[in-house]
Amino acid sequence: MSFRPVFIAVVIAFGLVLAGYLVNRQRPASDIDQPGEAFVRATGKCAECHVRQHYSVVHEYELSVHAKKGVNCLDCHQAAQGQQSAEHHGFTISKALTSANCKGCHPMQYEQFAHSRHAAPSWAAVYGEKGSKEHPLTAEQVALAEKFHPGSCKREANPLVSVEGAPAVQSGCVSCHSVGRPNADGSIGTCTACHARHTASVELARLPSTCGQCHMGPDHSQIEIYTESKHGVMFAAQRRMLDLSVEPKKLTTREMFVPTCATCHMSGLNGLNVTHDPSERLSYNLFAEETKPRPNYVRAQAAMKDVCLQCHTRPLVDRVYKEAEAVVTSTNEKVLEAKKIVEGLRKDGLLKGKPFETPIDFAYFDLWHYYGRTSKHGAFMGGADFVQWHGNYPMRKHLVEIRSLADEMRGRHAKQK
Amino acid sequence: MPSKNKWYADPRLWLEAFVLVNLAFLSLDIYLAHSVNQFRRAAEYVPLYFSLAAPVLLGVGLLAGEWLAAPAVWRDLGYLVGWLAVALGLVGVVLHLDSRFFVERTLKSLVYAAPFAAPLAYTGLGLLLIMNRMVAVDSPEWPRWVVLLALGGFAGNFLFSLTDHAQNGFFHWTEWIPVVSSAFAVGFLVAPFLTPVGRRFLQMCGVVLLVQAGVGLLGFYLHTAANLRGPSPRWVDNFIEGAPALAPLLFPNLVLLAGIGLWVWGRADHVLDPPPLASSSARGHDS
Repeated sequence: MSFRPVFIAVVIAFGLVLAGYLVNRQRPASDIDQPGEAFVRATGKCAECHVRQHYSVVHEYELSVHAKKGVNCLDCHQAAQGQQSAEHHGFTISKALTSANCKGCHPMQYEQFAHSRHAAPSWAAVYGEKGSKEHPLTAEQVALAEKFHPGSCKREANPLVSVEGAPAVQSGCVSCHSVGRPNADGSIGTCTACHARHTASVELARLPSTCGQCHMGPDHSQIEIYTESKHGVMFAAQRRMLDLSVEPKKLTTREMFVPTCATCHMSGLNGLNVTHDPSERLSYNLFAEETKPRPNYVRAQAAMKDVCLQCHTRPLVDRVYKEAEAVVTSTNEKVLEAKKIVEGLRKDGLLKGKPFETPIDFAYFDLWHYYGRTSKHGAFMGGADFVQWHGNYPMRKHLVEIRSLADEMRGRHAKQK
Repeated sequence: MPSKNKWYADPRLWLEAFVLVNLAFLSLDIYLAHSVNQFRRAAEYVPLYFSLAAPVLLGVGLLAGEWLAAPAVWRDLGYLVGWLAVALGLVGVVLHLDSRFFVERTLKSLVYAAPFAAPLAYTGLGLLLIMNRMVAVDSPEWPRWVVLLALGGFAGNFLFSLTDHAQNGFFHWTEWIPVVSSAFAVGFLVAPFLTPVGRRFLQMCGVVLLVQAGVGLLGFYLHTAANLRGPSPRWVDNFIEGAPALAPLLFPNLVLLAGIGLWVWGRADHVLDPPPLASSSARGHDS
């Protein structure tokens, strides 16, 4: 037999194999990494495709407690009652997930959330009692909110909605206030605002930056105040020593010896009750023009003080509350003084038209909405600079401006007569 | 086509049967392949209907040619099916070109796009039918055409097993087996076209082809086993969306085709090993 064809056959064969190997070796790992069979099965097959199409989504799920506990994609993505479904490669899935999908396994958390200010009151703060055209509030949702937070839903739409227009509202206000948006399936709100979608993370919800996505800026500067406070400074320094992933009912000061927003407002620290109603431990409505005690004032303050006492002595806690309540009283006085001036102008016919049309409207709104709130939040959260330079000082400045503007208006009015 | 040989000794009959069975089998393959696309376009039904009708026509032609002494019926039906298959394959390639691979030009898009070379299976089968009618079986040309078309099939096997398994990240080492084995099939089937070969080399090709058959059957088992363990709620979905169970059977299928070609090639009188080189002794030349 001639050797020539054998040689040709082997050379060609080896050349092909070598070429194939070299081409494959050049491919990036992200292209050739495959989920293991067990993981494909664990996700309900979804990872088989989505790990290539949306790697980060699958990876976030892979890191989640859901994955560790065997909750697969379909468990969350199947259509809940009242949701529209769609066929997707042999699976029937929901077109859009809402808190109704979480409620199936976390009913108590949903109920706590549903009667919090994060639910219907959050949406009504933008669109009023009826909600938006696309996402109207139901009578039941309004009634539930009013039961726990009187006046939180039975209110007009925020006047800025009509003044600023739909694009600003949609990309601005709604981005945060959608935490309480009513859903077509009858549920309300979205859990992923705090827990994120595929991460479904308790750890994420405990991070100050998560709350700070919305609770920031001049009108509700909680994240800035927290960052300035001793709590925030210690968190920045010792973040890596904390374990924020502990199961809520098992969380102790051993894992979280420095508090974040969630620790004080929601967590079941050292055996305390866990709540998904962040206002449950709040004794004052600090957001309001004139701050008054909440209906559950005594119980709420006792609950919050219980949390404080996990790390502080009672005299210290009582002193902080006493000083903060004094700031509330003082702020109320300043706000009411300014309010009296503005209302006097309206009463005397010097100030007419809709809100946000004259400089004095803005001066008064800024006084209570920015600086009044900041002053009160700063007092309760250990933010000294926010009580003073970001709170009381601009409040004083605006009060002087309001007086001056009012005097000018009255002077002009007198000349016109 | 009336044959002088017994039916089992007639390569043309075997080739005809090979094409008939392949066309019939393609109906199942097309059904699964286009189900992935949910037969979104009406044109996707054309190869399915063709694959169902063509074997019937070829069967009628075979009956007419073999038992009713009507070779013209066999010839004309074969030409009809053959040319239609050639056209179907070429049009299929053009239609499959409408895929994102030609936008992205990545291996990923190539594997997950409509396989633009796959319709050439019809073209290959059509060419076999036409060749079987235009070339005399006892000519040196006949087996070469058969082997050449089988070679084309193995080249396709090499590329598809490489790209498909590369897309799977060669998750199991066994995914390299068809790549290596089909590379050797290509090498051994190319050689006879580049240099004169003897019967011993053709026998060696036969051994290489037998290995291919084993690889194909192993692949069928591995793909099927993976799909039976698949995570979809319906097993049918595993077979449609999962590892292509029928694809490895292309290996033994092409072994049959190449086997027919080598069989005829090897029995031809003109096949001789080349004489020893003048400078060497007879040592090492064993045929």
